[in-house]
Amino acid sequence: MTAALAEKISEAHAAVRDSLAPAVVTPDQRQRALRALAAAGLPTTRDENWKYANLRSLERVHFAPSSPRPRTDIPEAALPARIEGYARYTFVDGVFAPELSSVVDVRGVSVTSPRSSGAHGRSASVATRMAAALRAVESGAVPAARSDDRLAWLNEVFATDSARVDVGEGVDCPACIEVLFVATEPAQTAASYPRLEINVGANARLGLIERHVTALDDANFVNAAVHVNVSAGAQVSHYRLQQAGARATWFDTLSAAVEKDARYDLYVVNLGSLSARSTFHVALVGERAELGLHVVSLADNLQVHDGFALVEHIAPYSKSEQNVRGIAGGRARVAFNSKVVVREHARGTDSRQSLRGLLAGPQAEIDVRPQLEIYTDDVRCNHGATAGKLDDNMLFYLLSRGIERDMAQQLLKWAFLEDVVARITVPELRRHIEASLAGQMKETAAVKELV
Amino acid sequence: MLKIENLHASVGDKKVLSGLSLEVKAGEVHAIMGPNGSGKSTLAHVLAGRPGYTISQGTVTFDGRDLLALEPEQRAREGVFLGFQYPVEIPGVNNVYLLKAAVNAARKHRGLPEVDAFDFLALVREKMKLMRMDESFLSRGVNEGFSGGEKKRNEILQMLVLEPRLGILDETDSGLDIDALKIVAAGVNSLRGAERAFVLVTHYQRLLDYVVPDHVHVLVGGRIARSGDASLALELERRGYDWVTEEAA
Ligand SMILES: Nc1ncnc2c1ncn2[C@@H]1O[C@H](COP(=O)(O)OP(=O)(O)O)[C@@H](O)[C@H]1O
Ligand SMILES: [Mg+2]
Repeated sequence: MTAALAEKISEAHAAVRDSLAPAVVTPDQRQRALRALAAAGLPTTRDENWKYANLRSLERVHFAPSSPRPRTDIPEAALPARIEGYARYTFVDGVFAPELSSVVDVRGVSVTSPRSSGAHGRSASVATRMAAALRAVESGAVPAARSDDRLAWLNEVFATDSARVDVGEGVDCPACIEVLFVATEPAQTAASYPRLEINVGANARLGLIERHVTALDDANFVNAAVHVNVSAGAQVSHYRLQQAGARATWFDTLSAAVEKDARYDLYVVNLGSLSARSTFHVALVGERAELGLHVVSLADNLQVHDGFALVEHIAPYSKSEQNVRGIAGGRARVAFNSKVVVREHARGTDSRQSLRGLLAGPQAEIDVRPQLEIYTDDVRCNHGATAGKLDDNMLFYLLSRGIERDMAQQLLKWAFLEDVVARITVPELRRHIEASLAGQMKETAAVKELV
Repeated sequence: MLKIENLHASVGDKKVLSGLSLEVKAGEVHAIMGPNGSGKSTLAHVLAGRPGYTISQGTVTFDGRDLLALEPEQRAREGVFLGFQYPVEIPGVNNVYLLKAAVNAARKHRGLPEVDAFDFLALVREKMKLMRMDESFLSRGVNEGFSGGEKKRNEILQMLVLEPRLGILDETDSGLDIDALKIVAAGVNSLRGAERAFVLVTHYQRLLDYVVPDHVHVLVGGRIARSGDASLALELERRGYDWVTEEAA
């Protein structure tokens, strides 16, 4: 990070310091994160795992969040329709908006906003992990993995509120909560810092939708931080739908720990924003812990979708499976870099990475890169990465049956995503992908007419 | 219905068709035979509009219209159907969905409303029975994991549902056992009629025992070297292709 950018962040923080809720992140912790940021800097495209991210836009961002009072002038109609069975918790520019929310009515499930409840903001485990990471930075030993958390520190500095989801031991809530983050301010005016902490007790089951949208202005700067803790034997289906504004710059850092015999499925659907960068760090810390990472990225026109996943197998017999499918149209770029690390004690690890990109525009770009680091024997790891165009033979077959070219291409794109989308069991989310694909097709047809 | 005159076509640097002429009238069944590599599939592809072929000379008209000027999807909607020699697998695109989209595209072309989903399924089931296809086919991807014979039967099923005016079947018989061959032949025969025509590309005359052609042509060196009636196929079976090739040379 340039000194100027560090300075800017520091000044922005000083200006709003007193209005930042201590219940969300204590002033002490904010200071720490600020110092760590100043020391390590924000990533630049010269950094190993940030080559494809669009970081230039950071220079034009006003880093401080908007006024501490949440906006209440957003009509319900400006928000996406509610999803059957899921209680909605809405956060506007990172702050809980009760009037746009409903309350979950399941015993053992609670969603709290430390800003409005004044409750202590973070679970002990998240706080401990974050503190350890920051100490490492201060001591000068910044492991590569941790340095990818830098945007999470930025969130820590400015966080205005948090959605804290607690699911008690053994609670069963497979279609449970939707957390909706709405960004309304243009990047030059204010930033939005969504925060989500999910703690799932032992042997519980949770289905949660995390959704990012825009209202009023679509040129937002959003920097989200998400922590997930999946306790022993628990099962979590975490659906993430990124529908940020068409001109938005969107960052997110997700870290998750999966304990013994637990399974965490993360379904990521990236549709929106001009530039989106996601950083995932999942640690399989207990024996037989499992991760399913399922990613669909649809980028068109000038959009950039960049993803980096670090999956750490720490305990024996843990299992991870990644399926990433990206389609880039127009002059868009989809990049996904996935790194699996098998630590010393993780014998019997089973890991699969399948990263596939589809070029759907003459100037589109796909970069998919699987990486593997193994520090033990007796593991089963396989990975594959492909980037290519639509299959001409398939296309001709459909055309020869009389199907319109646009429709045929759309069918093949859908087919390309099918094995990932088929696993998304929330129909609403599937519909959004479908609509977005259709939109992409219309767009290209419309552009063709103009040229 | 179909009139090909002096057609010259090449793929890459290779000239495949050189001066092919053929006329197919409504109600007729033509068989095109010929040794491997003689250009049979090329002809079928050129008629269906597959990209990758350069046509340097000649004309093809369909009902008096310039067929070569039409996009492949337009040709299909005008009633041209190609049964592929090697049908491609398209995992993720459902078989029935493809069929329905194809039927609706044709209906739209004719100014008709979309087909009723219930009626459509009933129709597909009926045709599937004729082709002895398993119910599980309905939920599978296009040709996904189909055996060679199943793929060929699926091509005929599509033809039965789409009811084209001109069916071009490229070696639909190859790789079929005798039972499957009879099923495929029955499918083709069920569509035969005064307003339809077929071009059967085949390497062996076996299929022609069941779908008896009005005309048989031998393709050698990119043009039709010999034409005759159904008995020509039997003669070819007996004597092989060499004598035609020699006579043509
Ligand atoms: N894509 C291609 N590139 C180069 N040569 C080709 C291609 N397709 C066909 N050919 C050649 O054209 C000739 C005719 O092929 P084809 O029409 O498939 O013959 P047939 O169907 O009669 O066996 C063959 O010599 C074949 O090798
Ligand atoms: Mg052939």
